[in-house]
Amino acid sequence: MLAQSLIQGLDQFFTPLTLILTTLGVIFGLVVGALPGLGPLMGIVLMLPFAVDMPPVSAMGFLIAIGVGGSCGGSISAILLRIPGTPLAAATLFDGYPMAQKGRAADAIGIAISASALGGLFGGLVLILTAPVLADFASNFAPPEYAMLALTGLISIAVVSDGSLLKGLMTGALGLLIATIGTDEFSTGFRFAFHYEMLNGFHIVAIVVGIFAVSEMAQQVQAGNLNEKPTVKPVRPGFRSVLLTLRHWKNLLRSSTIGAAFGALPGVGGTISTFASYAVAKAMSKPEEGYGKGAEGGVVATESANNATVGGAMVPTLALGIPGEAASAVLIGAMLILGFFPGPALFADQPEIAGGIFLVYLFSNVSLLVVGIVMTPVFVWVLRLKKSYLVPVVLLLCAIGTFALQSSVFDLWVMMGFGVVGILLRAGGYPLAPLVIGVILGPLLENNLRRSLLISREGYWIFLDRPVSAILVAANVLLIASAIFWTIRLRKAQRARRAESPD
Amino acid sequence: MKHLTTTLVTALALTAVPLATRAEDFPRRTIELIFPWGPGNAMAGSQLLADAMADELGVSMPVISTPGAAGTKAFMIAMNKPADGYTILDGYVAPLVLQPVLGNADWTYDDFIPLHAASSNAFAIGTSAENDRWADFEEMMAYCAEHPGELRYTTGSRNNLPHMVIAKALQSYDCVAQNIPYTANAEGMSDLKNGVLDFGFINVGEFQQNGDNYAIKLVLSELPASAEAFGNAPSIADLDIDLGLSGLAPLGWNWWLVHKDTPPERVEVLRQAMKAATANPEVRAKAAALGFAFLDWDWDQYDEVVGPVAGQLKAMGDALKWEEEELSKL
Repeated sequence: MLAQSLIQGLDQFFTPLTLILTTLGVIFGLVVGALPGLGPLMGIVLMLPFAVDMPPVSAMGFLIAIGVGGSCGGSISAILLRIPGTPLAAATLFDGYPMAQKGRAADAIGIAISASALGGLFGGLVLILTAPVLADFASNFAPPEYAMLALTGLISIAVVSDGSLLKGLMTGALGLLIATIGTDEFSTGFRFAFHYEMLNGFHIVAIVVGIFAVSEMAQQVQAGNLNEKPTVKPVRPGFRSVLLTLRHWKNLLRSSTIGAAFGALPGVGGTISTFASYAVAKAMSKPEEGYGKGAEGGVVATESANNATVGGAMVPTLALGIPGEAASAVLIGAMLILGFFPGPALFADQPEIAGGIFLVYLFSNVSLLVVGIVMTPVFVWVLRLKKSYLVPVVLLLCAIGTFALQSSVFDLWVMMGFGVVGILLRAGGYPLAPLVIGVILGPLLENNLRRSLLISREGYWIFLDRPVSAILVAANVLLIASAIFWTIRLRKAQRARRAESPD
Repeated sequence: MKHLTTTLVTALALTAVPLATRAEDFPRRTIELIFPWGPGNAMAGSQLLADAMADELGVSMPVISTPGAAGTKAFMIAMNKPADGYTILDGYVAPLVLQPVLGNADWTYDDFIPLHAASSNAFAIGTSAENDRWADFEEMMAYCAEHPGELRYTTGSRNNLPHMVIAKALQSYDCVAQNIPYTANAEGMSDLKNGVLDFGFINVGEFQQNGDNYAIKLVLSELPASAEAFGNAPSIADLDIDLGLSGLAPLGWNWWLVHKDTPPERVEVLRQAMKAATANPEVRAKAAALGFAFLDWDWDQYDEVVGPVAGQLKAMGDALKWEEEELSKL
């Protein structure tokens, strides 16, 4: 299945449009990654409306490359300004910034880009080797397994997301509720469809652009410093950075493995994997390496892990159609609009698309290595961009892209409405990712749950009669029980601390 | 920097100006084909024809999948778009004729202007290849009649043409079975193949691509060519009883349509492009590989072809109601 996918994918991959768009995606990803407050998810969201009119593999190459570039771009501002461009790069500044302070900014950025690209390639190998196997195993899955998998995805995201468990579950439930708008597949009746443009529910792109991009821009404006222009010196890394990175090959392999493994787990994501791989690298280092004071190994560990996470996260996304985090959920939304369903059927019926996606992912990491090192001066210059220019351009892109989807003014209202929802949720400390995951997983969960019950001749027992479904039921129960256990334990600890404090 | 930003903003703002206001001739921008089902083989067939038509017109023609409400959602969305020729509706028989017959839609086929007939694809009732419980269709029906409500089957989405035709066939044998709807045919085919479902509708494209996975029990068409496309499987013409499935009604066919207020000169441009696309031998060969046969009916045969089908479908529509009532009694 693997060889067949790759061979058939070559035709889709080797087109000028795909190669150019993938490279452009990496460049755009590095720009949005470098700019504090944006990041890979925002980059994918902003370009989603433009990508959905492209051929499938070119579009996916463009969006995935933005994710790859964006996961690395955050290191540039972390190293030069001590401000991580994205949360993914937060751990990179532990050693990246001290390296810059010692006059090794070019080496630090070069190592960050090289480690990202090599870690990303490792993640790509994990993706290529495991996704078809998982898809083959899942080809026997029936509605009960899919219903339980969707539930696992939703619970995991809510449990692991920022903020409290309850808030995560609440925004996830709000996402599920939004997903019910439109036509009910089973009764063929309409639900909450007050306007003919709501017969299909809200357009997923208008939702994600509003919830992530519009609300983020509002937050940027609220934060102030609109005309601040950081002072940065030009930096020009060279390809010798690759050799510097390869000197830490054990660290590179270990951190990439951690990144890819964490990426494949729903809800864990890149930020946790970078801190975990940094902690492991530091624990295994010699004292003279000076972790925290400008150690090359620290940058290698965090950057290789966060880009390997992208490959790992795509395993459940492509093989099962279950997103591991928000960016994967948006990629699934893109795939559905482009006309193909991620999951076992993708590998069985459209191996050329699956193979094409594998190849664009690998190419985007090769492209990251070359483009990243050659164009670093441009990305450093971008850091000087004032917010007063950036915010209007981003909002304009949001509006043009959302309108262009269906030439619909209604979609613009949806985008603005969800922008307001995003602002309110951020203000209340509610995580946004579970809402989008809820919207994506909602139909999968509801339809498969109802389908299972229609197929079943013994009601809910169908979920326990099938072995894989029963295991997933047990996993879901464990997830919920452990989340409740840790929440209670945390509250008790907080209460104990409050009781001990003098006031 | 200021100059660069100004230029960028101006350029972006210009792209937002609706192109139609600047266009004098037609077409100048993307034409959307509103497709009433989920992605799958039928959508691939429509995309193939749309691509060929796009080549004739010089603009892109994306196929927009808008499944739901037995295809009527796509019709409502398309009817609310401007009548400017930039929206084409993939008019399948179920939402075009059947749903109005059932009282689920308030339009008739006269409310649309035809461009050209698109394609037809016959379908069949089949089981998983590994399912050896019944030797033939009649044996399966006898079992079903003895065990009402026990068997599960799929027709893709609900209340579509295959559902209606299969419900009519089942009613003739007093077979009450539970229909399981699926968003995409591929999901239903996977469950059929894995034995989760007892039987299901299989279209020619699916059979030609994955024929080994299925045992065809009955081809739901009396045309010899249809039985041939399913490896000479038994068809309704071979049965001893009349299922009331004769004529064009049980065949899956579609016409491409536009809003009835579309300017005639634009309709003419679209008609010529579609006619040329359906006549292209290369495109016809690709369609055949997908299991589709392009229909040669031009727009002036629309009334003659579609008109009589409404009456034939009425009886089949009643079978859906019968199925629902019988299941509710169990």
